[in-house]
Amino acid sequence: MTDRPDLGWLLTIVAAVAFWGWLLSRWATDWLLAPLGIGPGRGENYLSPAPLEDAAGTFEGTAAAVGPLRVRVDPIATVLDGAALAVEVAPVLADGAWHTIVLTAVSLLLGLAIAVPLAVVRVYGGPFAWFALLYTELIRGTPLLAQLFVLYYGLDLAVWLNDVDVVGRGFVPEYAFWIAIIGFTINGSAYQAEYIRGALESVDEGQLTAARAVGLSKSEGIRYVVLPQTLRYAIPAWTNELVYLIKYSSLAGFITVPELYYRASRIASTTLEYTPVFTLLALVYIGLVLTATDAMGRLERRVAVPGLGGGEGRQQARTEGE
Amino acid sequence: MSRETAGTADDREPGTDPLLRIEDVRKSYGSEEVLRDVSMTVDRGDVEVLVGPSGSGKSTLLQCINRLTEVDSGRIFLEDLEITAPETDPNEVRGRIGMVFQDINLFTHLTARKNVTLGLEKVRGMDREEARLRADEELDRVGLADQADSYPAQLSGGQKQRVGIARALAMDPELMLFDEPTSALDPELSNEVLAVMEQLVEEGMTMVVVTHEMRFARGGATGITFLDEGEIVERGPPETLFENPDHERTARFFESIRHD
Repeated sequence: MTDRPDLGWLLTIVAAVAFWGWLLSRWATDWLLAPLGIGPGRGENYLSPAPLEDAAGTFEGTAAAVGPLRVRVDPIATVLDGAALAVEVAPVLADGAWHTIVLTAVSLLLGLAIAVPLAVVRVYGGPFAWFALLYTELIRGTPLLAQLFVLYYGLDLAVWLNDVDVVGRGFVPEYAFWIAIIGFTINGSAYQAEYIRGALESVDEGQLTAARAVGLSKSEGIRYVVLPQTLRYAIPAWTNELVYLIKYSSLAGFITVPELYYRASRIASTTLEYTPVFTLLALVYIGLVLTATDAMGRLERRVAVPGLGGGEGRQQARTEGE
Repeated sequence: MSRETAGTADDREPGTDPLLRIEDVRKSYGSEEVLRDVSMTVDRGDVEVLVGPSGSGKSTLLQCINRLTEVDSGRIFLEDLEITAPETDPNEVRGRIGMVFQDINLFTHLTARKNVTLGLEKVRGMDREEARLRADEELDRVGLADQADSYPAQLSGGQKQRVGIARALAMDPELMLFDEPTSALDPELSNEVLAVMEQLVEEGMTMVVVTHEMRFARGGATGITFLDEGEIVERGPPETLFENPDHERTARFFESIRHD
């Protein structure tokens, strides 16, 4: 640790606090406080964008007035305009971000739950390996959007889900959201299974042999010896999948799930402010992706074992092996 | 020289106590015959050293004994249990036979102690505390009580192999198989492993050892078996095989490793 405060570190902390402070307070306002009558109410702005708009108007006016001096104040006006827009759409984006986060996190975890057995069958399943291969190639070989359309329009899932009482009531999202979860889970499971298969195959064969020599059955050996190593090896690839999924989840917008992209594109098409709206959208996605990468890095360090997989493990083994 | 051809149950020496019997074992990988009619008996408390050129089938024979490899024909018995019978549970066999590997194969993600407790908890069904005490006992036995919390990557090759031995011993095996336990190690690191093995010899452990360490064979072995091209060429006490082998091939082999 250095004594000088690290500027980059400081800025990261400020940005993280601002980003998550905004999201968390917004969700708290919408779901916890609004029903109690506290705060501005569900989906209502904290601040009024009007002063920012006025200020922007002033600068635009000034630009014309000081024109001969060639002082460019237009950019300031543009920034103020953007800020006004940001204040205006922030509540909607926060709600979209909630859908994006839940969609991503739930699909990733459910996908993992399917991917692990799938990869094990692929590697150790003998005659059943072809089934896992078929599933993986079928899912990976067809477009995600097509899969979502089949689930949404082609099957009776929507009808069936609509009959479930809780769907679409209060806190619980509409049926389209659940269809998206199913789609992303299936799609993600195929990709994750491939990552895990690669990691499984990188575990030395002798590990399972040694486990069996101790008297563990093959499945116990896989469970207690091979998989704990595999999942550590798979974390970097898994991080990749998470980062992809945060952005791929925007495809759910095409089946009317009100996630980030859907919300932003709706605003853009009504206000016609495409560039500023999608710039704001990009900032929110970047915030989510950076958070996800950081969280996975922490997970990797937390489960690191010297000499195995993750960065920390590799480093420790190197220094202590010398 | 009844031991030279000792093999089937019929020609046991009187007063012996056979623990391991191997009868006419054959094994091929594809068209390559790795073991051809191998028969031998190892008595309780014996230390049998298997030697031979690489590819002579020594390691395959060890793997057949705890069913990491299945034989093509022939039978192997551990006392009255027919190891090779299809209805025999391989996990039961492996629970009674310990194995130490050339490439050590410690569980990479577990500490030395956990390497030992895994089998105790999952195979023997011990609770965590009991298994921990037992593991620490075994680690102490191989002189590594102070390394119980180290991960394999933090141990030297010799230390790793000693943990490998402790892991096998913790299961209370009746028979220990060693598959070239020191050949991946520097000579100086081999010594600490050989010392642990010699200690086991003194404690009366029954062992089948594949090794090129002739010091160990001279010091600890009760019998030496020379295999070549999947056949037992010659079998006898160490002095006889070293000094006065019956077969030209045996003599040539010992001559060649002496010059290593």
